[in-house]
Amino acid sequence: MRNAKTVTLRVLKYILLLILSLISVFPFLWMIICATNTAVDVNRGKLTFGTHLIENLTALFSPDLNFPRALLNSAVVAVITTVLALLISSMAGYGFEVFRSRGRDRVFNFLLISMMIPFCALMIPLYRMFSALNRAGLTAIGLDTYVSVIVPVIATAFLIFFFRQNTKSFPRDILEAARIDGLNELSIFFRMYMPVMKSTYAAGAIITFMNSWNSYLWPLVALQSENMRTVPLVLSAMGSSYTPDYGMIMAGIIIATLPTALIFFVMQKQFVAGMLGSVK
Amino acid sequence: MAGISLRHIDKIYENRVTAVSDLNLEIRDHEFMVLVGPSGCGKSTTLRMIAGLEEISGGELYIGDRLVNHVAPRDRDIAMVFQNYALYPHMTVYKNMAFGLRLRRTDKQVIDRKIRDAAKVLGIEEYLDRKPKALSGGQRQRVALGRAMVRDPSVFLLDEPLSNLDAKLRTSMRSEISKLHSRLGTTFVYVTHDQTEAMTMGDRICVMKDGLIQQVDTPQRLYDAPCNLFVAGFIGSPQMNFIPVKIGRTADGYDAGANGVKIPIPPSKAEKGRLDAYIGKEAVLGIRPEHLCDPQGSGSSNTCRIRVRTELCELMGSEINLYAAFGEEKLVARLPARVPARAGEELELGIDCEKLHLFDSETGHAIFH
Repeated sequence: MRNAKTVTLRVLKYILLLILSLISVFPFLWMIICATNTAVDVNRGKLTFGTHLIENLTALFSPDLNFPRALLNSAVVAVITTVLALLISSMAGYGFEVFRSRGRDRVFNFLLISMMIPFCALMIPLYRMFSALNRAGLTAIGLDTYVSVIVPVIATAFLIFFFRQNTKSFPRDILEAARIDGLNELSIFFRMYMPVMKSTYAAGAIITFMNSWNSYLWPLVALQSENMRTVPLVLSAMGSSYTPDYGMIMAGIIIATLPTALIFFVMQKQFVAGMLGSVK
Repeated sequence: MAGISLRHIDKIYENRVTAVSDLNLEIRDHEFMVLVGPSGCGKSTTLRMIAGLEEISGGELYIGDRLVNHVAPRDRDIAMVFQNYALYPHMTVYKNMAFGLRLRRTDKQVIDRKIRDAAKVLGIEEYLDRKPKALSGGQRQRVALGRAMVRDPSVFLLDEPLSNLDAKLRTSMRSEISKLHSRLGTTFVYVTHDQTEAMTMGDRICVMKDGLIQQVDTPQRLYDAPCNLFVAGFIGSPQMNFIPVKIGRTADGYDAGANGVKIPIPPSKAEKGRLDAYIGKEAVLGIRPEHLCDPQGSGSSNTCRIRVRTELCELMGSEINLYAAFGEEKLVARLPARVPARAGEELELGIDCEKLHLFDSETGHAIFH
């Protein structure tokens, strides 16, 4: 009796898990199916693979859509944001954890509280700041530049917190051995901390790159000219046209998903280790 | 090479906790000085102050003739071996050892020669291309020692370097570190909480407690003539037996009464008049476990007998550690393995009166040893 009950429970559990897996996989599957079909088929609700993938990709890369430029913009913004965010946030997290100072924890708590402020609330002040730069003639760092979408996100409270927490597992002995060996504090950071904490950096890189690559709201406000638009903006614009070509849009979304998926798969091991805070 | 002089050193942390208070210690050139004491006694803090890893709150610290209170660790000409080895995990053993020298812009060939020489001495030649995570605890500790050796420092600082090793490896590394000291002839400052390490390795031992130095002396002198109850209890394994006694006067001199037994204090320990101030007062009698003997087998003429109830016998091979109750007091005696002793039985033990120690029960200071 008891055995039969256990088997039934197990079967029910697997059925539930299967349904949940299908629910989470379906949007991706549908995205791929749509990318191989024409807009008419998509609108008709066709759920099987079609033969129009190449046509959709050709349409996506047609000169009037400027999609390659959007890819380049997204790549430049995401790569620079990731590098700068990792550098600045890890330095801050390291500093908060390693160096003792009187107001350290108070400042850090203040920083954590800033995580509660939604980005929407910062948008108007940010817009005013960057437009003020434009008005002051500093158009190179004002609105509609890479700077305007990179600078506001290179020092996030979350990433600083993430690095500080992970720095707790960084062996202090190494720090002290390096001091005795003759490294100064900055060199200790670059030559000891960075290589030892590479898993943390990998996790931070994936999170930051993904956020930056998928970022929509602030770039929508800050980037106004055609040439500066990033992939999410272009794809969104395609979707809001009078007759959206869903086959082509889905092909675009697949391409937009590829970099983050690729980075995740390459750095998967370090990502998991980094999220767990391990030092190897 | 250099001696170290700590003069009135204080260490008070931001939260007003005093780790070290008015510490005065002269460590001679070429000496192997061991700082020993229980956790929180300030020994590691003292070592870290010598290394420059901890700021000095008060007093003066000299390495050689140079005042180094405000000198950065890298400029103190020291090398340190840490408890957790502190090897750089992203570098090979070779690079770990070369790192400090490269920073000092030492010639590549000189670096290579020094590393190969040190690796040969420490038996780690075949691991030079490995990373630390591919090494065992003992091998890592050798690398840490090698990294310090190649620097040719004036002072070697070792912070509980053997604590993470298993008992067998610890014993062999102990002798290797002693040999290394003889070979290098450098000043060694070694921190440990293990009194066996301290006794076997140090030229002199500094016993610390609660941030204060209790006694600084050679291992044998510390063992034979502890200056107070703490040192007497800390040095020696099994530790010294302490029996609360009442001092009385006899025709020849004095005796110490406990549980109805009068233990005579020989005149060689306390000549007439010396203990007059203690007559009728409480004191603490100290007896090392090896000075509690089998009365039949005792060679000493000055032996006093006591009856004890055996509680436990630990067979150590050539001898036994016999744990017994003498009235309320617990005693441990180190006896030859041939002595027939069973738990629960009554037994007669002899006390070698020539080896007694007496401590003031209020201050804990030694009255005689």
